[in-house]
Amino acid sequence: METMQPSDSALISRYIAGQEDAFAQLLERHKARVFTTIMLIVRDEDVAEDLLQDTFIKAVHTMKSGRYNEEGKFSSWICRIAHNLAIDCFRREKRSPLLNLDTTSHAFNSLSLAEEGAEAALTREETHARLRELIQELPAAQKEVLIMRHYGDMSFQEIADATGVSINTALGRMRYALINLRKKMAAQPVFYDQNLYPRDAAPVRVQRIAS
Amino acid sequence: MIKTFTHETLLRYVYNELPANEQQAIEQALQHDAELAASCADLLLAQQALNGLRRTPSQRTTDSILQYSRTFLRKE
Repeated sequence: METMQPSDSALISRYIAGQEDAFAQLLERHKARVFTTIMLIVRDEDVAEDLLQDTFIKAVHTMKSGRYNEEGKFSSWICRIAHNLAIDCFRREKRSPLLNLDTTSHAFNSLSLAEEGAEAALTREETHARLRELIQELPAAQKEVLIMRHYGDMSFQEIADATGVSINTALGRMRYALINLRKKMAAQPVFYDQNLYPRDAAPVRVQRIAS
Repeated sequence: MIKTFTHETLLRYVYNELPANEQQAIEQALQHDAELAASCADLLLAQQALNGLRRTPSQRTTDSILQYSRTFLRKE
């Protein structure tokens, strides 16, 4: 039987009341999404680890000082902090760039070699590295919406509000981001090779991702 | 009458942002409209590919954040 997971809101209340384990659960629930958001902007794993810490430190300060606003979703709020920190950092780095262009370093840190074998893991990581490159090639506005929606868990309306455009513009940007990616992916059919996704080998069914 | 859906509506559907009534309408249409179903499948494939990019931070970073939170509590 599936156990009910406490909502983010419940965890925040428990955390503010002094229960540290609630914060550990929040962190566990959101760290990959926030980290991926940062990684896709700064493209440097060490910098991304630092910015992830800065993001959650800001969250700790806000929540423990009683300034947390319960109105929005925690996931959107934390990703907005991460996004802003990453953009600031990216702009600083553009002025004095770090010479770290290796997007495939630490290639295996999230892969289970025992499960899928070294060769399959390498192919998968190479594919992901190429997809990351394709995302970097998107126009800035499209890339921003794609990251905020797909990894930041922000709704299209929240993205529209955060970026000062209409929801239709945000939707249009996402649409063109996916069209652009699809075109580039079609030119490199390995992206659609189902062998790369052995655990999802079932035919595509109409099943939306959980938001 | 056949209802048509824009790509933007389909996009909101696959990201679970449509109100229940519109969601139901699109799900019915997907059963009969092959073109719409193909567009939906394309979006789901794109999502699947994007999901593959998710990365997790190191345990060291996670531990540092938790440690900071515990320390912050003691300082207050």
